[in-house]
Amino acid sequence: MKLHLHNLGHRYGARVLFRGIEHTAAEGSVTIVTGPNGAGKSTLLRIAADLLLPWEGSALLYQTSEAVTGAQRKMTTGYVSPEMALYSEFTGAENLAFYARLRGLQPDNAFLRSALEKVGLKGRGRDRYADYSSGMKQRLKIAVAQLGEPMLLLLDEPGTNLDRSGAEILQEALQEVRNRKGIALLATNEPDEELWGDEKICVNAV
Amino acid sequence: MNSMPWHKQAAALWKKDIRAEMRTRVATGSMGVFALSALLLIALSMLSVKGVEYRDALGRLKPAWDDAGKMALLWTLLCFAAFTGLAHPFVHEEESGTSLALRLYMSAEAVYAGKLLFNLTTLAAMMLVITPAYMLLTGMNTGRLILFFPIMIGGCFGLGSVATVVAALAAKAKSSGALFGAIGLPILVVFLILLMQAAHLCYAGNATPISIVKDVGGLVSFGVMIVALSAMLFHFIWDD
Repeated sequence: MKLHLHNLGHRYGARVLFRGIEHTAAEGSVTIVTGPNGAGKSTLLRIAADLLLPWEGSALLYQTSEAVTGAQRKMTTGYVSPEMALYSEFTGAENLAFYARLRGLQPDNAFLRSALEKVGLKGRGRDRYADYSSGMKQRLKIAVAQLGEPMLLLLDEPGTNLDRSGAEILQEALQEVRNRKGIALLATNEPDEELWGDEKICVNAV
Repeated sequence: MNSMPWHKQAAALWKKDIRAEMRTRVATGSMGVFALSALLLIALSMLSVKGVEYRDALGRLKPAWDDAGKMALLWTLLCFAAFTGLAHPFVHEEESGTSLALRLYMSAEAVYAGKLLFNLTTLAAMMLVITPAYMLLTGMNTGRLILFFPIMIGGCFGLGSVATVVAALAAKAKSSGALFGAIGLPILVVFLILLMQAAHLCYAGNATPISIVKDVGGLVSFGVMIVALSAMLFHFIWDD
């Protein structure tokens, strides 16, 4: 498995964010994406998640010799982003169950308990998402992103609002990706988090 | 991980929307309040002209409101009520930021099918309450029952399909509330013309089998065409 970013560039209107990014993330690797605010780190991750078409170049995920596309690509990807919200009218467990069903999983009580426990939300599954603190919301988003053990895990500033134990959960998630020979991209400007990666992409505004 | 069939994803989204609606009652609440207040106003207006007759161009005496006219007014009420509440599922996903996860985990076709199912369910539930109440308060007759039910079902399907695709377009625009009406009007006009032509058959004494097939078939075909076109083109609206 590999993620190949080839001559990747993107622009919003007349403003070019970045151009010419070349990178190949090998299986079992964690790539750190850094760069100043507004340089396009989140945009790069959205392109890698197949949520946005690049202006130029390509971001292809290969499982064998052929690129993974369409529905298969969606099922292979987990994504955490500050722009992403979960359903405030549902509890944490209901949110997890909904996304698990979309991924073709059977979310019984044991499954949900285990997924919540993994991100330190044991005993809080019946609380409404709207009543969660910002750190708890971030933990639940990480739990959703890990549903079905995705081979490509994309984390956009995942440490936001997380305490020390939350940071450990993130490190464990990255280690699990390495163990299952998947690929992780972590966009961050936190010096501590930059140390968690094996490789680095610096996105600089053009 | 194997990809999940689109119809199972659509069913999961429909169940989620129904459960959310049961808790928040935003769509049914706004539609219900509009429909009930409009129903009350129409019933009071009709009461004031009860028994009043007028002479048409040929000098024949006719009631101020006949059944075909009442049927047209019922559908006007249903259309406005639908457009009041059915935008909510799409607009809420966009405004609250939950649409990003749907884009990531679901195919565009599955999202469209799930939202269409939810809108049809909500609209059918509203029609089941409003139509008998309207008939009771205004004294509207069903006319030919064998035509009345297919026309109501065909109308519900057509209106739900129009409202769904227009809601998706409006949700992607910034000022979605104002756009919902503006984008919907051209499609809605065609739908209402077809609907009124078909509805007239319920009360027309000289309806032939050919006119029945043409008008009722036209109404149903319109709904099917909107659904087919929407399903094919939805990813252009949905995906960034």
